[in-house]
Amino acid sequence: MKKTKIGEFEELVLMTVIVLQEEAYGVAIKKELEDRLETGLSVGSIQSALKRMEEKGFLESRFGEATARRGGKRKRIYSATPAGLQVLSQMKDIRTSLWNSMPPFALEFSWI
Amino acid sequence: MSQPPQIEPPKWPLKFLRFFLRGEFLEEIEGDMEEIFLENLDYHSPAKASRMYTWDTLKLLRPILIRQLHSHNPIITYSMFQHNLTIAFRNFMRYKTSFLINLIGLASGLACFLLIYLWVQDEWKMDKGYDEIDQIYQVMEHVEIPSGIGTASNTAGPMAQGLADDFPEVEIGATARTKSINPNTLSFGDRNVKAKGLYASKDFFSLFSFPLVEGSPDQILQDPSSIVLSESLARRLFGNERDIIGKQVLLQREQPLQVSGIIKDLDRHTSLQFDYVLSFEAWAEENTWVQAWQNRHPQAFVRFQKGTDITAFNEKIYDYLETKAGEEEAHRKVELVPYKSLYLHGRYQNGEQSGGRIEYVWLFSMVAVFILLIACINFMNLSTAKATQRTKEVGIKKSFGVRRESLVFQYMSESILLTLFSLIASVVLVVLLLPQFNHITGKQLELIWDGNLFMVLGGILLFTGLLAGSYPALYLSSLSPITIFRGKLSRSLGELIVRRGLVVLQYALSIVLMVSVWVVYKQIEFTQTQNLGYNRENVILFNKEGKTHDLATARTLMQEFMRLPGVKDASIIGNTMTESDWGTNAIQWPGKDPTDRTGFDVIQVDYGTLEMLEIEMKEGRSFSEDYGSDSAKVIFNEAAIKHMGLENPVGQLVQWGTDYEIIGVAKNFHLESFHDNISPLVFYLDPNAQYMMAKIEGANIQETLSKMEAVYTDINPGFFLDYSFVDDDYAALYVAEQRVSILSRYFAGLAILISCLGLFGLAMFTATKRRKEIGIRKVLGATPFQLIRLLSHEYSRMVGLAILVALPVSYFLAQQWLETFVFRISLQWWYFLGVGVLAMLIAWLTVGLQTANATRINPVECLRDE
Repeated sequence: MKKTKIGEFEELVLMTVIVLQEEAYGVAIKKELEDRLETGLSVGSIQSALKRMEEKGFLESRFGEATARRGGKRKRIYSATPAGLQVLSQMKDIRTSLWNSMPPFALEFSWI
Repeated sequence: MSQPPQIEPPKWPLKFLRFFLRGEFLEEIEGDMEEIFLENLDYHSPAKASRMYTWDTLKLLRPILIRQLHSHNPIITYSMFQHNLTIAFRNFMRYKTSFLINLIGLASGLACFLLIYLWVQDEWKMDKGYDEIDQIYQVMEHVEIPSGIGTASNTAGPMAQGLADDFPEVEIGATARTKSINPNTLSFGDRNVKAKGLYASKDFFSLFSFPLVEGSPDQILQDPSSIVLSESLARRLFGNERDIIGKQVLLQREQPLQVSGIIKDLDRHTSLQFDYVLSFEAWAEENTWVQAWQNRHPQAFVRFQKGTDITAFNEKIYDYLETKAGEEEAHRKVELVPYKSLYLHGRYQNGEQSGGRIEYVWLFSMVAVFILLIACINFMNLSTAKATQRTKEVGIKKSFGVRRESLVFQYMSESILLTLFSLIASVVLVVLLLPQFNHITGKQLELIWDGNLFMVLGGILLFTGLLAGSYPALYLSSLSPITIFRGKLSRSLGELIVRRGLVVLQYALSIVLMVSVWVVYKQIEFTQTQNLGYNRENVILFNKEGKTHDLATARTLMQEFMRLPGVKDASIIGNTMTESDWGTNAIQWPGKDPTDRTGFDVIQVDYGTLEMLEIEMKEGRSFSEDYGSDSAKVIFNEAAIKHMGLENPVGQLVQWGTDYEIIGVAKNFHLESFHDNISPLVFYLDPNAQYMMAKIEGANIQETLSKMEAVYTDINPGFFLDYSFVDDDYAALYVAEQRVSILSRYFAGLAILISCLGLFGLAMFTATKRRKEIGIRKVLGATPFQLIRLLSHEYSRMVGLAILVALPVSYFLAQQWLETFVFRISLQWWYFLGVGVLAMLIAWLTVGLQTANATRINPVECLRDE
């Protein structure tokens, strides 16, 4: 966390990439996240998160196969790097420790 | 896959996408987009899918995804930029004089523009800050008089309430009495504070949304004995006391009033200015005449319901006064005018709106644009001239394959950089000059660093930078390297015409400004030195207050004053001598046309008042105690006698309620400003009038005044002698013109300065270009004087042309301005000749200085390298 920051949305995208494994390309990531977040997302937001994380070294990518449905253009399949995995587990640890330090009454608040 | 294959993503967004997206991302993202588009087709209509595609394309415009426009390599872009900056700085340093000329010229031009911008913006804001301002209207009356239609902002007392009662479209009507109210003394305990107030009806605060600190808008003026104070007045009266509401204060130390509300101190953008408000209803109770539809005194405001058709409403109420007050008032027509527009468009001529302050707003806006234009012209001219010295740089760059766009970009960025420097300097100047500017304009302007200001500054930067840089940038970048290096740079005729034309235009603008300064100055001088028909020197005027309302006390006070050394005379009068407070059309004379409703100004006087003011009699005598009671006698001025058409007026009778005998005719004198004609006027004897006057003489006026103050408080305890000098009051009639006069002096000075800088720069340039010629001529024996004449010749011709163009224009403008005065100077031919000669001399001096310098060169210096 000290060296490279990861945004909340980036974190979500990164986790989705790991979940989707071999199917982790733009459209699939967008759909998966839209289902989970129950909201619409633009291609731009997903793409810029992906490109930023690739620059930071949390993701790597290679070209996949081309399909007719894409007008013969190849997909780009993303996968997490060790650095990406590490930053995710760091984030989880930080969250867990914060949750554990919260006083019990805080849990009684429901946000829904 | 069920879709027919011919449905494709919309073409334009796709092209756009391909244009802006980084090449390495294109395949992937274009594919993604297409996949999503095809999928959307399964759920939505093709049109909607296309819209979603377009929208998604726009959302792809993110810094990380778009391609770098200028170069794929950011390092090159950066270093090019740095290179341009370096070149610009080196050029500034190398040609220090022209850099400074440009900087000073542009900075002062911009500073002037910014100041005027602030002023204009402030004027536009006036009276527009109330809630629902678009619904607020003021009643104006158009009154038919023999000479046309006069328009007044005061109307009948019951007008506002009448409109509110009779028409459902009118939500609220409010009446306010704002004029001819003298400052009054308010007291709480032993604290006395003098403040200015107004009378307003109970709905006043519901109509105008003045922010209240205490009290509710519809309640605070309900009670006739209530008073509403401003926050600062409350603090001055009550100090730190709490629970002020309900406390009693004394007005003029006699009338008890209850504080019912406190308003926030007024914003400076309202033309209604007051410290306290009293109940208009209570005032009308005492002054019953104001309750009659026949009389015209307070101002009436209404607020309409949203969506009311005002044009239709105005047609409906045009004859409203006739239906209310009967046929005798049929000459008074009613119109409702948007309140927000009255501040700027307050002048009426023959029943039509004919400008007002808006004229000054336009005038100054034009001056601002002129000056900015002059400064830009200068800049363009100098850069173009200088550019010829930099052609080699262009030639070399072009030979190395620099594209034309980069050259344009280089010169543009150079000019924007210089504009930026000037802008910074001008902002500093504005900050320094604002207090002085506020003093002259009577405003409280300040530079507020908000979005608006940044927009304006950014706009000026781009506009000026691009405009000023355009010509040199386009011209220089168009040159072919071969012509440059061959050294045969033929200057096209067009270029020469453009450049000379610019100088002529610039100089012409300055001359117009100079003439305006002179004419305005002369007219103001005329208003101040012309004999007004009475002597206003060292006459003080003050209001009767407290005990002095009692005639015996007033007479005692006058006697005590006259016993002081230095007080020459004291008297009583019903008018301030600088405005017509009171008029009547009820005077009847033999042979009067029954439809004649011309207003006569009325001034109440005492014995000796006319003598004190040195108003001369043309015929007959003045009021005098030697002839028994003069109470049924009147004196008219010449204008009145002329209007009435009486021959041998002295001794004749006129009817004004009862019979009055004319005992004299006074010579015409100016009661109002020189904008207005001298109206018919009548004097009658009434020592209970509102004001007192005293004439002071001798050298020690301050000492006399302080003695008078002591005497006054002695006789009238609890009040202070609150006087003004009549000549100051008179000068204040021309406060707008005075401001124009002072400001135009500054502006003209600035314009001349900038133009001279321009001339200087150009002369310097020509001298450098013709160095060799000068050298050769010197060798052949030309005298310095001949050389100066040779070099200045071109400029003399240009300035001469500018004078020829400018003088007719300025004559026309000056005539237009002077026509707003009834009493005015006539334009003399030598005003124009003088300005022309002066302009020519300034130009010669400027050019001469520069060329004299150039002719001192040693011929060896400039000829040896060939």
